[in-house]
Amino acid sequence: MKSPVRLERRLTQPRWLNWAIPVVSLLGALAVGAIVLLATGKNPLDVYWRILDRGFLSQRAITGTLRTATPLAFTGLCAAAAFRLGVINIGGEGQLYVGAVGAALVGLWVGGSAPVGITIIVMVLAGMLFGAMYASIVGVLRSQFNTNEIITSLMMNYIAGIILNYLIFNSRSYWRDPRSMGFPSGKPLEKRAFWPTYEIFGTSVSFGFLLAIAAAIVLWVVYKRSRLGFEIGIIADSPRAARYVGIRTKWTIVAVTAMSGALAGIGGASQVGDFAHYLDAKGLQLNNFGYTGIVVAALARLNPLGAILVAVLLGGLTNAGYSLQGPDFPSGLVGTLQGLILFTAVAGEILTKYRVRSNSGATKAVAA
Amino acid sequence: MTNSAVRMTGVVKRFPGVVANDGVNFEVLKGEVHALLGENGAGKSTLSNILTGLYRPDEGTIELGGTSVTFGSPKAALDAGIGMVHQHFRLVEPFTVAENVILGNPETPFVIDTGSTVERVAELAKRYDMAVDPNAKIWQLSVGEQQRVEILKVLYRGARVLILDEPTAVLTPIEAEALFKTLRAMTAEGRTVIFISHKLDEVMSVSDRITVLRGGRTVGTVATRDTSTRELASMMVGRSVEFSRVARRNPGTASDVVLSLTDVGCKDDRGRQALHGVNVTVGRGEIVGVAGVAGNGQRELAEVIAGMRSSTAGRIVVGDKPVPNGRARAAIAGGVAHVPEDRLHTGLAAGHSVEDNMALKNYRTPLLSRFGLLKRNIITSQAGDLVTKYDVKTPDTATPVRLLSGGNVQKVLLAREFSTNPKVLVAASPTRGLDVGAIETVRERLVEAADNGVGILLISEDLEEIMSLADRIVVMYEGRLVANMPAVGATREQLGLLMGGATLEASR
Amino acid sequence: MNSNLFIVIATQAIFYGTPLFFAALGGVFTERSGVLNLGVEGMMLVGGVTGAWASIHVGGSPWFTLMVAILMAMAASTALASLHAFLCVTLKANQTVAGLSITIFAGSVGLSSYFANIWKVAEDPVTRQVRKLDLLGLGDTPVLGPLLFNHTILTYLSWVMCAVASWYLFRTKIGLQLRAVGESPQTADAMGINVVKYRYIHTMLGGALAGLGGAFYSLAIVPTWVDGMTKGAGWIAIALVIFGFWRPGLTLLGAYLFGALQSLGTVLKSRSFDIPGDVLDALPFVMTIVVLVLVSTRFAHKRIGAPAALGVPYEREER
Repeated sequence: MKSPVRLERRLTQPRWLNWAIPVVSLLGALAVGAIVLLATGKNPLDVYWRILDRGFLSQRAITGTLRTATPLAFTGLCAAAAFRLGVINIGGEGQLYVGAVGAALVGLWVGGSAPVGITIIVMVLAGMLFGAMYASIVGVLRSQFNTNEIITSLMMNYIAGIILNYLIFNSRSYWRDPRSMGFPSGKPLEKRAFWPTYEIFGTSVSFGFLLAIAAAIVLWVVYKRSRLGFEIGIIADSPRAARYVGIRTKWTIVAVTAMSGALAGIGGASQVGDFAHYLDAKGLQLNNFGYTGIVVAALARLNPLGAILVAVLLGGLTNAGYSLQGPDFPSGLVGTLQGLILFTAVAGEILTKYRVRSNSGATKAVAA
Repeated sequence: MTNSAVRMTGVVKRFPGVVANDGVNFEVLKGEVHALLGENGAGKSTLSNILTGLYRPDEGTIELGGTSVTFGSPKAALDAGIGMVHQHFRLVEPFTVAENVILGNPETPFVIDTGSTVERVAELAKRYDMAVDPNAKIWQLSVGEQQRVEILKVLYRGARVLILDEPTAVLTPIEAEALFKTLRAMTAEGRTVIFISHKLDEVMSVSDRITVLRGGRTVGTVATRDTSTRELASMMVGRSVEFSRVARRNPGTASDVVLSLTDVGCKDDRGRQALHGVNVTVGRGEIVGVAGVAGNGQRELAEVIAGMRSSTAGRIVVGDKPVPNGRARAAIAGGVAHVPEDRLHTGLAAGHSVEDNMALKNYRTPLLSRFGLLKRNIITSQAGDLVTKYDVKTPDTATPVRLLSGGNVQKVLLAREFSTNPKVLVAASPTRGLDVGAIETVRERLVEAADNGVGILLISEDLEEIMSLADRIVVMYEGRLVANMPAVGATREQLGLLMGGATLEASR
Repeated sequence: MNSNLFIVIATQAIFYGTPLFFAALGGVFTERSGVLNLGVEGMMLVGGVTGAWASIHVGGSPWFTLMVAILMAMAASTALASLHAFLCVTLKANQTVAGLSITIFAGSVGLSSYFANIWKVAEDPVTRQVRKLDLLGLGDTPVLGPLLFNHTILTYLSWVMCAVASWYLFRTKIGLQLRAVGESPQTADAMGINVVKYRYIHTMLGGALAGLGGAFYSLAIVPTWVDGMTKGAGWIAIALVIFGFWRPGLTLLGAYLFGALQSLGTVLKSRSFDIPGDVLDALPFVMTIVVLVLVSTRFAHKRIGAPAALGVPYEREER
């Protein structure tokens, strides 16, 4: 087999690729999406306009978008933090659930009595701790036994889902609302334990979203300026060089995986504290926040600040999908579009590694 | 009917930024062992990869037995009867010998008949006097046995032309002798052998004719019986080389010990004992050469001293302080500098900038970081100073080191290692793969450091290098130090025998 | 345990294990070629929805309709798999991200749901279903009847496939070469084996089998389409490949074990045994992690045969 073009390794990665690739990916995905829509008898311009309208063009739309963007920002940071080290933690989904479990636990426990500020802090910390501990199982297995973290973290997502259901469906569970009739649901938090929202230019911004921005900035500083970030970079570039200078690679893998889980854990805590105000087993599992976080990280090219932007973008898409859902706007369209964006991003990534060259003038195959 | 087996004319192959072959002409006759001689980077591997269909030449022609051919793939070359024994074996480790041998062979029937395959492989091995069990799994075999499988593979495919890429690099002299005998048996049957090497004496002993490459061009082809090691050497490097000892300003001393190993043992990556009770000392300003065939524990020795590998026995003392076992940071702090064999991926982080790599060993010191945060401006200025001092050719300090030439890569590494003011430097094959100019610079730097009092453990397969630089020579064989002698008075022949496992008495 | 209960659980295990086996067998082929496919769940769902649509809308005799439905399901998932192969083999993309993209694109909130919606598949029950078949009239034989002779045609097909796949992988030349491609593509390439072709074909074969597994859900297990009806079976299939040490026979056993665990909860509950169903649900995942840890050591790797080049794009060593 011989193709008309060939790929040639790039020696350097020009900076402009950092923004050019996401933009081109997005446009490419919209173009392919338009073909899908046309083929199934929809008007792509109409669909896209309505997504834009419902996702971004009013204060109410932006409020909803930021609400969806909050967990995506955390799971995106979670994936980006681990991927940077070469640890493919796709367990953000499960770590988010477990973080929610932890935050709900302390929220229910101290929420009625402790001062508001303390309650919020311990909820955030509990989410981080639960997420970190859950993720560190993956990290320890990877660093001690070299166990493939992709599969373990994936399996742990399902285990977390089962734990979540158990905590709501089991009649003796602390998290379950004893008053819930018929269909069981989570015990509601005291009002005092609700996380604050802020009105900024007419849109309400959750405390969790601000936390996500703060986390992204901290991560950015870690990568740019800190010793830990330097060491993460060396390990990812060359594990042997890391061993050569005595970087504790195993420890770093566990620590970074735990940190990654902690980020998803705050996302889970924010779901409890900011929005649901109880352990919402169904709502947490409905949206695939963890998996979409991988999309966020990939599109942001593992840049923490980029992850916030992409989370808002995809949050808008998802949010528009919710509010438009109906006969004119089939369910599944949003996931399809997200998948397309990912495909084009994955394909676009190749341009950072290779140049595409024409293969003309090359020799023909087959020996004489 | 021509007697030519392979003729390559005007072959050009360019890679981004490099011309690997620049108009190579090369002709091999049927039934001969033809050596392809050249330094690392002379274009030997590229040329053989073109001949085996892995690369396509940008220009030039290839003829087999007088017929012009173009290979679109390795398969086309194999089908045309050209087989390659790579330096890094192309074997499937969990497969058996027989499975590896029949792999990819178009004549293998769709349903594999294991019994008859094993029989045929055993027969073939016997015919060429190569001891190997067809039912053994590859990962259970020694390196020498694995090489025999590689050769069996190409023979089984009916190759008429065999290319061997530095086949003796991994063999003991005794195993190498056996290989040469096998090669002779093959040429006696009318097969052709192309033998790629940079070792002069083995080329002299095994080949009928020799083609020398330099800088991607053909220097010339000579008949072995009409030439000498000295002539070949000058063809290879472009001038006559004098193997003379380098003059020292401050000769080292063996008495003021800066590094001592007592009964040190350790395991290799596969968990086998790699070092057995190694005892060695290096004095202040002394250069101790470690000679030996690759794979006899040299890498493990270097790694144990540098703290990259845990020892299983013995103790290591640097200056007057024992170094904690298997802790690279402690070794670095104790004054051990290390130039590893794999410079670009062990000694350096290839994707990182020159300045990051310059800071690799001292980024944790208060000079470069505080409260866990790096002082980037000092990292940059430190790198700038070192680049100037060591004359590193780089566009700027933000350039990734993988874009630098081999010589400049080694300069970055040496600059950083010497900047830590070490007591001891462990240098593994510090000049391998460098061009002549860079080799000279590196050697000068090593001698200069020794003159300033650094004790150097120079691990090298290159006997010339060891003999011209070292004050004292030790020889490693199968994880043991089998000899310890002053460099003055040591001979190549003697060292060669020791490297092959002879005792010190027998070598005299 | 009384034998009656055993038979009920065993037949359920075979029934629920069959689609898992199809998808996992596909995974065995794909992974043996060195390609990791995390898109199985998405491929199953797209296969499932396509099969459901065809079963409702394609006319003709029931057998004809079902055959067309199954073939269309396999074709749809194969198309997705070829996209995966393009990304992973041709573009040398990160296989994890590419596979996840497939699942997000085609999964429960993606294309499969979109198709179900615009084709209105969920509104009608699937009329033509794959039903159990009393083979040779032996279905009523005690013990052996329900175990061996009373399954859907697809289950019988899976047994044949298991045998053929083992033979193909371990006895034929193509199988040997396939394993070489997954183990050491450099070697395979040097020996004249077309790495790209092998990876494409076996990734697509894996996709086809995932689609078949998905069709089993929509045509045999759940009579009406529900978005995300495979409920993570695709992920279990990926786990099964490891659980079965990349061997068809062991994968079949593993599929039945996981199938048993899926049905055990309901069966036991109906007979008032009090074992929390959640524990049983979690077992397959926990067991997979344990097995994975056991096979992770280098020592085990070579003996068990995890493809060494799994997940690594192949690139000739050009400078």
